[in-house]
Amino acid sequence: MIERIGASVREKASSFLYALAFFGRVVDRSLRFFRRRQVGYKVLVFQILFTGVEALLVNAVMAMAIGAAIIVIGSSLLPQFGQSRLMYDIMVIVITKELGPLLTAFIVIARSGTAIATELAGMVVGHEIEAYISVGVDPISFLVVPRVLGMVSSLVLLSIYFNLFGLLGSFLVVQLIKPIAFAEYFQSLLAALAPGDILSGMAKSLVFGVIVSTVASYQGFSVGRASTEIPVAGIRAVGQSFVLCIFADVLITLAQYA
Amino acid sequence: MKFRMRHADRIVGVFTLLAFVLLVGVLILMGANQRWFSKNYTYFAQFPTAGSVQPGTAILHKGFQVGTIRRVSLNEGGSVDAEFSIQDSYNHLMRTHSLLELVTSPIGLGSQLLLHAGRSPEPLPEESFVPTADSTEGQALIELELVDIPPKDDTITRLLSNVNPLLESTSKTVTTLNRTLTELNRALAGQSEGPLGAIISDASAAVARLPPTLDGINEMVVEARGSAVALLDSANAIADNIETMSAAFADPTGLVPKLLDPKGSIATFLDDKNALYNRVMTMLAEAERSVRSLREISASLSAEMPKLAVVLEEGKTALVSAQDVLEGLKNNPLLKGGITEREEQDSLYSSMREGAFE
Repeated sequence: MIERIGASVREKASSFLYALAFFGRVVDRSLRFFRRRQVGYKVLVFQILFTGVEALLVNAVMAMAIGAAIIVIGSSLLPQFGQSRLMYDIMVIVITKELGPLLTAFIVIARSGTAIATELAGMVVGHEIEAYISVGVDPISFLVVPRVLGMVSSLVLLSIYFNLFGLLGSFLVVQLIKPIAFAEYFQSLLAALAPGDILSGMAKSLVFGVIVSTVASYQGFSVGRASTEIPVAGIRAVGQSFVLCIFADVLITLAQYA
Repeated sequence: MKFRMRHADRIVGVFTLLAFVLLVGVLILMGANQRWFSKNYTYFAQFPTAGSVQPGTAILHKGFQVGTIRRVSLNEGGSVDAEFSIQDSYNHLMRTHSLLELVTSPIGLGSQLLLHAGRSPEPLPEESFVPTADSTEGQALIELELVDIPPKDDTITRLLSNVNPLLESTSKTVTTLNRTLTELNRALAGQSEGPLGAIISDASAAVARLPPTLDGINEMVVEARGSAVALLDSANAIADNIETMSAAFADPTGLVPKLLDPKGSIATFLDDKNALYNRVMTMLAEAERSVRSLREISASLSAEMPKLAVVLEEGKTALVSAQDVLEGLKNNPLLKGGITEREEQDSLYSSMREGAFE
């Protein structure tokens, strides 16, 4: 039993070191990406299209729903305590700083994280990666870096849209349920919003983008020869991305409020 | 090839550019709304603790943010010095007697720092010291109503702010009651110099004067009773004489027929060597004596009447003062509204014969 535990620890430590080395190589290749202007640029554009543009609708609907819920609840509940102005602070905290980046990351994990993992896993099973290597193409530079950069860019851009739809689009939804004055709402919202809030949300999105894309790529490359490993890689990518994103969110939030 | 695949570059470009344009637009609007490039005026204040006054705390006036706490530091006296800024568009609120009030929610919903504008038209120079509502200076400004404090918008805070004056009023009432009781005790102990003490003192003096006055009244009553008995005796004698005379007149065989008879008393009277005449004169002299005695008694009684009246007047005044004191004690002035106002009636007495009949 002790041998089994020891073997497991060694395997986990080896995997962790391998993952760290993989991440280091991704970072290294990413820094060289824009200087080399490779064909991977097209992959980057398509990755932003798939991850960012195509997720915009889901992202906008979720942002408006959450924003409208906060406005309706806040405008009904908070005035009873004489704290109606807190509604705008709550909106900024929830949409811009906390829930916005995390929910955007969840959407991207569900849509693109699984897609990247299964696509790369399929390429491994189909020996396409070996073919790239055999012709001298670095699979990380050509396959992983555009996906990582595309996903990071998409998440940052989606977090900006999430803020806009959550803070302003939700106002339009609320007009159908409980009309409130636009000027008062807009001015109070801008008074509650600080540049630090926006930067905090974008920083979280950046970190989440790096985590999701790296984990998905890593899990995609981690398959063996069987096609049955492809969905398993997708599931593992989703699970690990969720856990790591939440963990990173907690750390960043603690760093902000500490 | 699908449209989005053919125009992927354009779509992604628009997607990216639009996001940055919107972000920059929001930042510009934030800057304009939060007055990043506007002038602010700096003032100073002092708080007992920095618990609810941190840098960045908003300063509100009637629900609008008019300024911000910039810096706080602990001074050598143990208080917290705060530097705060007021926006130029609200700097007109900074007038002499303006003050800051830190309002903490009673149910733990945070606190608000409120600015109350002074009622003085004189503007407050920049970098002046602004007192807080809980400081001695602030309390004095509030009591003198030199600062305009609007009602609170929080229900509980408003309720508490209504309860506070009530408690203060109750406290003042209790203090006044204590002071009144102390004054009453001092008055009863003869140590007070106020109106109540004067009343008690007057009542005491009046009560002290009552026994000699009553003795005088008793003496006069005894004297008057003796005079009245003598007067009644004389009157009885006069009445007997008159009765006798009337009987004599009524008797047909009496004095008058005898007087009128030619052989009667007149003739006898005229020819009896003044015997009857002398007798009549004697009777008249007795009657005159009786009338004189009656006049003397009457004069004596009239001479005693002013003294009697003065004594009765003094007794009446003393009794009225005593009644006021008793009513004052019964109707506590603070609880029942004081002594009932009395309509004074002038003395009816002037003299038995000086009154004009109208």
